[in-house]
Amino acid sequence: MRVLFVGINHRTAPVELREKLAMGDDTQPHLEAFRQQFPGAECVIVSTCNRVELYVARPIHDQPKADDLHRFLADRFGVPVGEVASASIHREQDQALSHLFRVCCGLDSMVLGEPQVLGQVKRAYASATAAGVAGPVLHKIFQQAIATAKQARTATGIDAGRVSVGSVAADLARQVFADFSGKAVLGIGAGEVAKLTLRHMLDLEPKHLWLVNRTAQRAADLAQRLGLAHPRGGGRPWDQLDELLTQADIVVTSTASTQPILTPDRFKPILRRRRYRPLFVIDLAVPRDADPAIGSMTNLYLYNIDDLQSVVAQSLGQRSDQAQACEHYISQAVAACLNQITHQDLGHLIRKLRTKLHDIGQAEQKRTLKKLASTHDPEALDDALGEHTQRLINKILHLPLSQLDQRNGDAPLGFYAAALRRLFDLDDEAPAEPDAPGDTPNRAASLPTPDPATRSHGDP
Amino acid sequence: MTLANPITTLTLIALTALSILTTIGALWRLRRSDGQSVATGWHRMIVAVTALTTLGLFTQRWWAGGNWQPVTAHMDGLLLMACLLACAILFIQTRPRLMGLSAFALPVLTFVLGWGICASAWTYHPFDLRDLHPVWRGVHLAGVYLGTASCGIAAIAGGMYLYIQARLKHKSRLDGLGRLASLETLEYMIVRTATLGFVLLTLGLVSGVIVVSEDIHHLGNGWWYEPKILLAVLAWLVYALLMNVRYASSFRGRRAAWLSIIGLALLLATYGVVISFPSRNSSADTPEADLKPFDEVAAAAEIVYFGVESR
Repeated sequence: MRVLFVGINHRTAPVELREKLAMGDDTQPHLEAFRQQFPGAECVIVSTCNRVELYVARPIHDQPKADDLHRFLADRFGVPVGEVASASIHREQDQALSHLFRVCCGLDSMVLGEPQVLGQVKRAYASATAAGVAGPVLHKIFQQAIATAKQARTATGIDAGRVSVGSVAADLARQVFADFSGKAVLGIGAGEVAKLTLRHMLDLEPKHLWLVNRTAQRAADLAQRLGLAHPRGGGRPWDQLDELLTQADIVVTSTASTQPILTPDRFKPILRRRRYRPLFVIDLAVPRDADPAIGSMTNLYLYNIDDLQSVVAQSLGQRSDQAQACEHYISQAVAACLNQITHQDLGHLIRKLRTKLHDIGQAEQKRTLKKLASTHDPEALDDALGEHTQRLINKILHLPLSQLDQRNGDAPLGFYAAALRRLFDLDDEAPAEPDAPGDTPNRAASLPTPDPATRSHGDP
Repeated sequence: MTLANPITTLTLIALTALSILTTIGALWRLRRSDGQSVATGWHRMIVAVTALTTLGLFTQRWWAGGNWQPVTAHMDGLLLMACLLACAILFIQTRPRLMGLSAFALPVLTFVLGWGICASAWTYHPFDLRDLHPVWRGVHLAGVYLGTASCGIAAIAGGMYLYIQARLKHKSRLDGLGRLASLETLEYMIVRTATLGFVLLTLGLVSGVIVVSEDIHHLGNGWWYEPKILLAVLAWLVYALLMNVRYASSFRGRRAAWLSIIGLALLLATYGVVISFPSRNSSADTPEADLKPFDEVAAAAEIVYFGVESR
């Protein structure tokens, strides 16, 4: 079997083309179409917002080739073949495996080491398995890729650390609080930056999430977009800010105010009223909403946008260091996986060879028995058995020896000869004498070419 | 000088050496990477060996003592504390976000083991178990040592609280913080273990007073303002405050963490005063010649217990 991969991703194709080829989560219709078009091949389709990739295993001389896959994608989505072909990448065998392993480890992702892609690959593999399009080769490859990605991520920690301001803020909040079921989050300001961070805060499942803004309607709109409803949260009037600061555990502020709104003078009485419960303040505004002096107050943890971005930068720096270690893991895993597939292929080959030889043997046996049925002469019996043996040997050797014909210029005769010597342990045989002095023919060329007459009649 | 048992001392020396190495490794790993990498396989094995060995030594001494009292000398109490601490470390190593705590617990374990060497090799004094209150004395010793172990765990959590808080406040190496326990969890641990420690220490103090009250005329008039008594009462007050930080809110967070450490320091100071500065009712009053070896514990002439000692 031959493994190939064809696909587009964020490096090779613009978002417009990725949008056109996007298959979403439901790849079943496409897998079904693939099966109908290429019944002998296996396929897994990985479709995410950043990539559409087809991993295919097919018999060596069978379809689909890369061009067929380009055409398949183009036909499915009504995109010109040339556009797909020019934006796609195509890899075969170990390079195709290496690409999949790198994707699983997050090395090919827009954000290096991001963990979501592994889940997406798992879902893609599950879909292909459910559709019956993933066969033994792709089962082996995807299972190995997923297992290797898990090992590499654990061993190298490439997915450790956060790489967005919102996720860093959520992580730091987890460092202060253990349980969010009784906690309240307060968003001050209704900008786009706050929205992203508040989404991460919502993932922590706090008890309340309130929003305050000088324009109450904007706070209400943002609350609606975040899916907040009473009593869990929602927009609150600006004049309730102090009261909300007393109740909140996490504050995300991102107003356009030119003066700090969270000052030590404001916070001193609030902290007393809070009974010094820990307060985590994330200031995403520029100019800053929180006076840096409040950061030194008791049980108050203040982070501004620069602090969060420096954590992001640290994480990314560490990830690029870990990527090298991941590559090492991948190269070893790919070699092992390819070796296993080759062995698997070899198993199929041996089974086919056995069947073929068995068929030849049975045909000859039938022929010989037919001959023997009409004679009881011992001499004729000897002749018949000798002829049987000779015919069997000639029939078995016919195809391989015909490949060693000197007239077959394209055949790798040296390779075949070496293989024959190795497979049949012929090394001790004396080399054939050259035909003429100074002539050093290839050993393969000196092997006897089967005589067509011998072949057809089976005579010695 | 009375030696508890050369094998016990040598075993404690070996365990202390291993514990020192493990501590250095754990602190180095905590500094280099994060909390979860602190507990390696070797690290766990050494702590498990420490737990089993100290339990074995404790049991062997109890068996050899020939009476129902498991704690017949200060060293037994230290062995018990070391075993409990090692078990606590093994437990926290099973919790992913608490693993980093073992880097703070190991120095305490090392300290207890090292103290065990001193108590075995240089200051070994069996307790006087020949009084009329064996049950109260048992309650007293159990309360004191188990209470101290619990307060030790509170101090360990306090140390980690201060470490994480310093990193959060100074914004240093924040990328690795996500794998350590949250401040809220640590504060909860401090309060819970300090509360347990307070209850056990209270039991120890009350039972100690009951034992002493029978023999009060031996102590003289000013026994209640001796340093060890004052230190013990001070430590008790610290833990009384610590268990109520949720209500005494100005002591929350960093102050609670410092209180847990101060409380343990006061307890250790109390032990130190009892051992180093003997008074008329302390163990060191007894001439060394009068002290009996370990196998004659029941007949020994000393009694040492937390805060109040008597003859």
